[in-house]
Amino acid sequence: MFKKADTSAIWAVAISLLLFFIGGILTTVVPPLIDTSWAKPFDNQDPAKGVTGKLMPLTDLQKKGRAIYVREGCWYCHTQQVRTLLADTKRYGWRGVDAPISTPDEFVYDDPHMFGTKRTGPDLARVGGKYDEQWHRTHFRNPRDLVKGSVMPTYPWIVKDPEEFKALVAYMQNLGRAKDWRPAKDYEK
Amino acid sequence: MQEQISRAEAGGAAAPAGSLVHEDLTARWFIVSSVAYFFIVGIIAILIAAKFVWPDLMGTVSWLSYGRLRPLHVNGMLFGWLLAADMGLTFYVIPRLCGVKLWSEKLGVATAMLWNVIILGAVVCLLAGWNQGWEYAELPMFLDVLVVVAWIMFGLNIFMTVAQRKYTAMYVTIWYTMGCILWTAFVYLTGNFATLFATGTNQANLNWMYVHNAVGLIFTPVGLALAYYFIPRASNTPLHSHKLSMVGFWSLAFVYVWTGAHHMIHGPISQWLQTIAIAFSLMLLIPVWAVVYNLFATMKGQWHQLRENVPLKFLMTGVVFYLLTCFQGPMHSLRTVSAIVSKTDWIPGHAHMAVLGCFSFFAIAGTYFAVPKMWGKALHSQALANWSYWMMLIGGLGFFVTLWLGGFWQGWQWNNWSIPFIDTVVALKPIWLVRFFSGALIFVGIVMFAYNVLATVMGTTEEAAS
Repeated sequence: MFKKADTSAIWAVAISLLLFFIGGILTTVVPPLIDTSWAKPFDNQDPAKGVTGKLMPLTDLQKKGRAIYVREGCWYCHTQQVRTLLADTKRYGWRGVDAPISTPDEFVYDDPHMFGTKRTGPDLARVGGKYDEQWHRTHFRNPRDLVKGSVMPTYPWIVKDPEEFKALVAYMQNLGRAKDWRPAKDYEK
Repeated sequence: MQEQISRAEAGGAAAPAGSLVHEDLTARWFIVSSVAYFFIVGIIAILIAAKFVWPDLMGTVSWLSYGRLRPLHVNGMLFGWLLAADMGLTFYVIPRLCGVKLWSEKLGVATAMLWNVIILGAVVCLLAGWNQGWEYAELPMFLDVLVVVAWIMFGLNIFMTVAQRKYTAMYVTIWYTMGCILWTAFVYLTGNFATLFATGTNQANLNWMYVHNAVGLIFTPVGLALAYYFIPRASNTPLHSHKLSMVGFWSLAFVYVWTGAHHMIHGPISQWLQTIAIAFSLMLLIPVWAVVYNLFATMKGQWHQLRENVPLKFLMTGVVFYLLTCFQGPMHSLRTVSAIVSKTDWIPGHAHMAVLGCFSFFAIAGTYFAVPKMWGKALHSQALANWSYWMMLIGGLGFFVTLWLGGFWQGWQWNNWSIPFIDTVVALKPIWLVRFFSGALIFVGIVMFAYNVLATVMGTTEEAAS
């Protein structure tokens, strides 16, 4: 079969595509059919089964904020995934409470997905409710005013636009909140 | 293989009168514009490296902020420079290996024009923040559609040339080129169009299939196609083994596409899919080592040629970087290693070794080799070409090695959660400073390369009879 491809372009094309499509289909089309949790929004009201909560679709304001997050490329430096590593659950926890591990059912309404590949800054999967609006305002204006040594860019054009700023904060305060993981709901507004 | 290569020789610029003369109009257009983008996007690269060291640099202008410039750097280098240079060199190589003229120079030049429109459109859109939010697939939809059109035009031209070939047997370069054109089509459609119909983890899985195979099934096959052509040509030595090149090609065709999920090791995606991706990532060693052994064995007894031969220096250094980068890749996919290096600065070190150290080195070598032949002039300066090699090699090694060390260190720090995150940022500052200066060296190399090509093209030196 492979020898034939030496002299026949048609054979070379046919075998190349055949080999490619075996793996291509088995790893892209088939997995969501097997693991249905990829498409089922998170919903758990039974504390015995672990952390409770329900994933809600984004509000219009949150969607607008999300679009700003995409536009400014925040996702190039901030991931949104608490991995199955003890260090991740500890580091991205809050006041001694470990952050729950991110699961596919928390991201069903994410389009484009914002999992990210690089942590130049910290992970934001559970950042919702950690800092209040005033903190974010100062931080976006100049991160170094709050965090000495930060290399995050400044975003004066967002802070100067009240609508954009409000939308972005609305999006961020919602991150990771599908799982109601902090006791006594001590989330900042 | 001796026979195959001597056939390839027949198409060179030194062909005797009366034989086939290649117009190379398309190849010239692609190469000149890609070299220009290499230089322009190099400036962007320096700028974003500087922003890590001086974060307030040009920080108040939205379209000059890091989040706008980074996608421009990535897309500009991948599509403006590397893919365009690879396409240009393919337009140079394929007609010569087929012993016929390019099927249509008119179509080819139109493809080159369309490609320039796409790249210029990308610059405007990305600076304006018109970003789709998927890595490597940032370009807005109308540009994606134009890319597909350009790719069909490119593919049609190459396939028609192959269909009209004079020699029945196809050299390994031709398979890799055909494979690249076909796989790229489906990989690109998956990453830019199929993702529209998915969300969350499902979309991420499609996105990583595309991102991974953008390197694995676009830049790898076209890069290897060029290495398989230019290494024997530049050293005037036949390829070591035809059979081994088949092993490398067919295992690449089967294995590569399975590995996308290794970008989400420990992440919110099914464990079994991660395990499959890890298993196939390890199998990647088969195609890689088959190719590397073949290319090294070709050079057996010929290594002395590297002393004077600049294209060969770039090519063989590229092969070494290919071996290293493709050893790193499978190792990163292991869960234990991933827990340390994933998401750290190690990763840009790895990515730059693949795209700059390996595939760009191949394209630079091909450009240095083909430009004098296409324009019928001697290279402007051999000494400058040699300097460009050393600048890029030293700058590149400085870049890769510091980011590996820094990334590993960063990963260890992250795994100790008593260290505040900001301390791990501050710890990396010396690393980023070294990266900036290494990047500056690479950029100097790019300037030398671009100037040398420009001076050759514009100059009047006739090719000395060889």
